[in-house]
Amino acid sequence: MKSASRRSVRQIRNSITFRVAFVFGLLFSIGIIAFGGLIYAITARELTARSDQILHQEARMLVSIPAAELPRTIRAEVAQNIHGLNYFALLSGSGQRLEGNIDPIPGLKLDAATDIAANQKRGPTRAMSVATGHGETILLGRDISEIEYLLRRMIAIMAASSIAVIPTVLLVGGILSLGPLRRVQDLQTASRQIASGRFDVRIATTGRNDELDQIATTINAMVEDIERVISQVKNVTDTIAHDLRTPLTRVRNRLDDARVAGSVLKSGDSIDDLIGDLNIVLDRFAALLKIAELEASERRAGFGPVHVATLLKTVHELYAPVAEEAEIRFEVRADPEIQLHGDGSLLLEAIGNLVDNAIKFSSGVVLISVDREDAGYAISVRDDGPGIPEHEREAVLQRFYRSSHGAEKPGHGLGLSIVTAILHIHRFKLGLHDTHPGLLAKITIPDA
Amino acid sequence: MPRILVIEDDVATASAIEKQLVAHKHEIVRAADGASGLAWATKEYFDVITLDRMLPDTNGLAVVSELRARSIMVPVLMISALSDVDERIAGIRAGGDDYLVKPFSSQEMVARVEALIRRSGTATPDVVIRAAAIEMNLVKRTVLFEGKQLRLPHMEFKLLEFLMRHAGRTLGRKFIFEQVWGYYFDPGANLINVHIGRLRKKLERDGRPPMIITVMGEGYRLEIG
Repeated sequence: MKSASRRSVRQIRNSITFRVAFVFGLLFSIGIIAFGGLIYAITARELTARSDQILHQEARMLVSIPAAELPRTIRAEVAQNIHGLNYFALLSGSGQRLEGNIDPIPGLKLDAATDIAANQKRGPTRAMSVATGHGETILLGRDISEIEYLLRRMIAIMAASSIAVIPTVLLVGGILSLGPLRRVQDLQTASRQIASGRFDVRIATTGRNDELDQIATTINAMVEDIERVISQVKNVTDTIAHDLRTPLTRVRNRLDDARVAGSVLKSGDSIDDLIGDLNIVLDRFAALLKIAELEASERRAGFGPVHVATLLKTVHELYAPVAEEAEIRFEVRADPEIQLHGDGSLLLEAIGNLVDNAIKFSSGVVLISVDREDAGYAISVRDDGPGIPEHEREAVLQRFYRSSHGAEKPGHGLGLSIVTAILHIHRFKLGLHDTHPGLLAKITIPDA
Repeated sequence: MPRILVIEDDVATASAIEKQLVAHKHEIVRAADGASGLAWATKEYFDVITLDRMLPDTNGLAVVSELRARSIMVPVLMISALSDVDERIAGIRAGGDDYLVKPFSSQEMVARVEALIRRSGTATPDVVIRAAAIEMNLVKRTVLFEGKQLRLPHMEFKLLEFLMRHAGRTLGRKFIFEQVWGYYFDPGANLINVHIGRLRKKLERDGRPPMIITVMGEGYRLEIG
């Protein structure tokens, strides 16, 4: 418990929220001190200036009084203690006090107000002296105890405020960091579960779309992708296992039968069957390897200018007999001017694959066309067959996936994967769309 | 009798190649590595060399490059377990004349070797070829089937010529597609089946089995008898 508590304190202390709050608190304290210091300096200067102004006014008034009346006036001023003036003295030319309530202050310059420290008889004083013009000096002073008290209070308040901000900031920072910390811990817990193989787990979001929500959303999307890929890999593995094991099992059983019967295989159906089964396995391997090679490489050795109309004419020559046999009308409409940069043989394979599918599923018409688009053009293969349900259009591009609408037709579910891989190395895109009825397989080719 | 140099380190594969080629009346010399293969090719004449892509002392690309560097222009059939199209291109660019991927049909291997011999001009060029009741004049571009003239479009003519040249052998659809149409990919069973089917109809004989038969899972064969 103690360890958990320590860890918790350390986690709070290390959290970004806490650190940000602490730095802001520190800056706030410095701000208070700076701002308070400024107010203090202005206030102190203002109060001193006011004292000096009063002292100068009084000095001017006293200097203007005739020498004979000066002692009486000073006694009267001392008695009245007006304008906040507390101290007056009339000093002889030799510096001795002739009148007044303050002792001479050594070193005090004429006509310049100066702060004088407190002594036993008086408090802190702002004092100045002026010459009367007939050999005497007037000394006058103002008690500044209250001003100094006020300034001291200001300093105390500023210091207290600054000091009070720090624990407040620490407390607030700690409290503020608790929420994000809890969410980070949730994120860690979910991540650990995902890492242990639970790809159904998702990180909770608050809906505020803050930074943690954004991270959680990104991780959730990533986990979804991983889950999908793993599911595909599993599906592919299962299908490979099924598709390859079935013919291999037949081969093995036939060889077992031949061994049990103590005979050697004779030419004819049994050998043809064995070779046929092995060829199925080899063909699947070859197709899978081709997809893997296309996906893994940047194979562009065969790239060059490809005349689209010629390419499509070749496709037509190859597949027209197939369409004719199936009583399908097969047409190609291509702009004779269009050229693209690619591998003609691979593109023939890809478009041929789409046409082969279209003929397989069409009810009567298959059309290839080339159309200009905003940022390039598109080669479209249209048929009027059953189409592919929207929810299966992504899946049919994956290895071995066969649409529920075409399960009865021959095929092994690798054709569209090969098409996708070929278009991928060309940086072309394949889109599958519904044409009510039928499927439109559209290859989007960006302008070079 | 055509002489074939088989450069192959795997004894079982080399024996299988030798057995098939000897059965088709070819004389065989075997070399188990690139150095001895080069030595044989340098000192004696061969009609074709079959060359494994991966040898214990070197690789097939280096051997074929060395052969061409020594001005030995014997046709080379490269045999490899590497199926990547780039590998095929690399093999052809290095100086190879054809490329066969393991595992292969022995009949296809023999057909490729014989095609290379024909192409190299070491065999007498044919004007007329015959298989069973079919006679094809390659110069006049005519076909006589059981004495009657057959009119065949260009690709059907090429397809029939290919089947006739390898009559009696089962030929895989990829091999047919590659040799007749010149494309190196699997077009699927349907495409070749239809083209073969159209030709088969034109070669129908009343009451007798078809001349072109389909070997399930493997390919097609033009019957000799």
